[in-house]
Amino acid sequence: MSRFVKTLAHLLPELARTLFGGRVTVRYPFAPLELPACFRGKVVIRPELCAGCGLCVRDCPAFALELVRESREQFRLIHYHDRCAYCGQCEDSCRHGAITLVNEFVPATAQRDTLTRVAVERGTSTRQNLDED
Amino acid sequence: MTRVTIPIGPQHPALKEPLSFLLTVEGERVMESALRIGYVHRGLEHIFQNRSYVQNVHVVERICGICSHIHTTAYCQGVEALLELEVPPRALYLRTLLCELERIHSHLLWLGVLAEHIGFTTIFMYAWRDREIVLDIMEELSGGRVAHAVNVIGGVRIDLDQEHIHSILARLDELERQVETFLGVIQHERTLQARTRGVGHLSAEQVRRYCVVGPVARASGVDVDMRRDAPYAAYAWLDFQVITAEEGDVWARTMVRVLESIESLHICRQLLNELPVGSLTVRASRRVPPGEAVSRCEAPRGELVYYIRSDGSDRPARVKVRTPTLTTLITLPDQLRGVNTADVPTVLSGVDLCIACADR
Amino acid sequence: MRDLLSALFTLLIFPGFGFLFVCALVFQWIDRQVTARLQGRIGPPWFQPLADFVKLMAKEDVLPVNAHERACAALPMVSLAAVLTTVLVIPIGRHAPNAFEGDLIVALFLLSLPALAYFLAGWLSVSVFSVVGGSRALLQYFAYEVPFLMALGGPAILCGSWSISRIAVQQSQTVWMMFVQPVGFLLAFVGLIGKLKRSPFDIPKAKSEIGAGPLTEFSGRKLALWHLSLDMKTVVGIFLLVNVFLGGSFTELAVPTALIFGVKALLTLLAFSVVGVLYARLRIDQLVSLGWRVLAPLALVQTLVVIWIGVQ
Repeated sequence: MSRFVKTLAHLLPELARTLFGGRVTVRYPFAPLELPACFRGKVVIRPELCAGCGLCVRDCPAFALELVRESREQFRLIHYHDRCAYCGQCEDSCRHGAITLVNEFVPATAQRDTLTRVAVERGTSTRQNLDED
Repeated sequence: MTRVTIPIGPQHPALKEPLSFLLTVEGERVMESALRIGYVHRGLEHIFQNRSYVQNVHVVERICGICSHIHTTAYCQGVEALLELEVPPRALYLRTLLCELERIHSHLLWLGVLAEHIGFTTIFMYAWRDREIVLDIMEELSGGRVAHAVNVIGGVRIDLDQEHIHSILARLDELERQVETFLGVIQHERTLQARTRGVGHLSAEQVRRYCVVGPVARASGVDVDMRRDAPYAAYAWLDFQVITAEEGDVWARTMVRVLESIESLHICRQLLNELPVGSLTVRASRRVPPGEAVSRCEAPRGELVYYIRSDGSDRPARVKVRTPTLTTLITLPDQLRGVNTADVPTVLSGVDLCIACADR
Repeated sequence: MRDLLSALFTLLIFPGFGFLFVCALVFQWIDRQVTARLQGRIGPPWFQPLADFVKLMAKEDVLPVNAHERACAALPMVSLAAVLTTVLVIPIGRHAPNAFEGDLIVALFLLSLPALAYFLAGWLSVSVFSVVGGSRALLQYFAYEVPFLMALGGPAILCGSWSISRIAVQQSQTVWMMFVQPVGFLLAFVGLIGKLKRSPFDIPKAKSEIGAGPLTEFSGRKLALWHLSLDMKTVVGIFLLVNVFLGGSFTELAVPTALIFGVKALLTLLAFSVVGVLYARLRIDQLVSLGWRVLAPLALVQTLVVIWIGVQ
């Protein structure tokens, strides 16, 4: 008898277990979604640590970083969000710790021009640094 | 009886990725089929030649989403062979840990997809719910659920402490209980057996003729597994069994994959309990001396082969990828001959196609 | 005048179109909620079936060039009309609007019209998936219909009447038919799963195999009416089962009839949802084999037993 029940209703215990407490849906965005700290999300570049060495640019597989150099003191580091694959190679390559990928996972935007961000700008002798927003 | 041509794909609910089958059907039987691939071809082997070795680690990862880590493992192993690097044991253990976790997640994904295609939506929901346990573990280890970027040339980028190891072990125990439930369902549930037994039969002789690899080959009795036959990473130091079955149909493949998941859980436990101390990487130079290397790994779908040729610069001269799905794709016209139309999705799911891998 | 108003009320409000419309949406929602909870999900909000219906009514209505357009426009109406007429002979509460001797046969006949309309819908909208789905629907019809009819004939023979209302009343005085003829109840249950094309017998609309089966080419208002007629068929089928096997809303206890009827109907719906979640979908040849090798002989045996009891 139990074998007969087994072949016909094998899933019943698991069904009962799921019905009383096995729900896995997270009501995102109406409920918070917790991510581990090491999640690789948004790319954050700290301008004060950037030396303009270009290691990140050389190692980016998607060509999402560009270093525009006018002189030894004057350069701009541009990050193209729409090309970025969030692989994290720039974070690993940077010797100065200027790039980190934080665990923010909604970098989407409604304005196209915010997809290209001048992350670091070293200009005149007063060392103008453009911050992140 | 008239013959009707039914198109399966490129867009079809039975396919995860675009693939084109033109089935010639008479009544309810499939007479012939014509296969067309290449819809996801991205020219990746050409892209590899225009990127440096370091950049390629990430491009290689994006050949496929389900088996991303094994591609980077095979690639990094090949480059490390060309550089004649000795990767530290701790890094090898961590690499293997992620390989096995990926195998479990891939098999659970596949189980859900097969269940969905035979109308067993409940198993689909349960398998993907339990897969979240593995994906959460991988996310905590590496920072990504699908693209982990764990491997670097010369070692790995991640590390584990004791507390983390205990938490992972507890979750693996929970996962094992769930996978045992699935095993029970596959062994006893009448409707599932009615849909998968005797469907998509491949004999051992056909397997050898088409050079099929992976769980499809093992389910027909052909005992091939790169982890045991040509050990790489940490497999030489591990104790595990290779699962085979004799029937050669979709049911046998299901059994092989679920039992392999349980075996992978045992392997993960060994890796976590015996993790050696040491460094995580060795220094790798950017320029690779000229040479050739062939790197073989056991992906969740079978043997994955990478051929890398270097010419002394910091870019590879040639990277050739042979994925396991290519071998199983060729058997599909044979498997589909004489099959009931209702069994076509079952057959297609049974071989666990990863078209992104096959098309590159 | 009063007769006219009363007839209009019966046809349009209760238990006609309005009541069935609301019931169809509510039953669909409960079914989806129960299925979802059993699978570890949340399920749709309460207004989802209504939203689906309204959305479909507003969508563009196209058919392939070779399809027979007028016939395809008429078929969902035929299906809807058949189901709406059936409810007039089923007692919801204490009276059926139009009960008469032999109305069980009429109800069964009317309930098989949607299946034929479904097959025709597939056949006349000429695409490959529709035609294959339509032929599968017809094969399925022959597999479950015979055991279903024989199973429903059992209570009629035992109660000595072919009127659903009388069968229901009789049960309140004796005992539910479900306990007297458990095999018959099971056969009717399984037959109804096939009739309603629910899992595990949802072969004609097997999504992974043939798109949406016979209704693949339908869209817009026609599809909305098709879904509505199939949902109403679910409601009417469950009401029929409750009346014939579970005693309807007739009881000796002093409980409001709506409550009794509603509880029984919902429990039946719950049983359908749980059975739908438990199994994989059968193949058409396996279903036909099941129907003729297991269900039909069982129905035959049950009928013979009932006749023998009746003779005693």
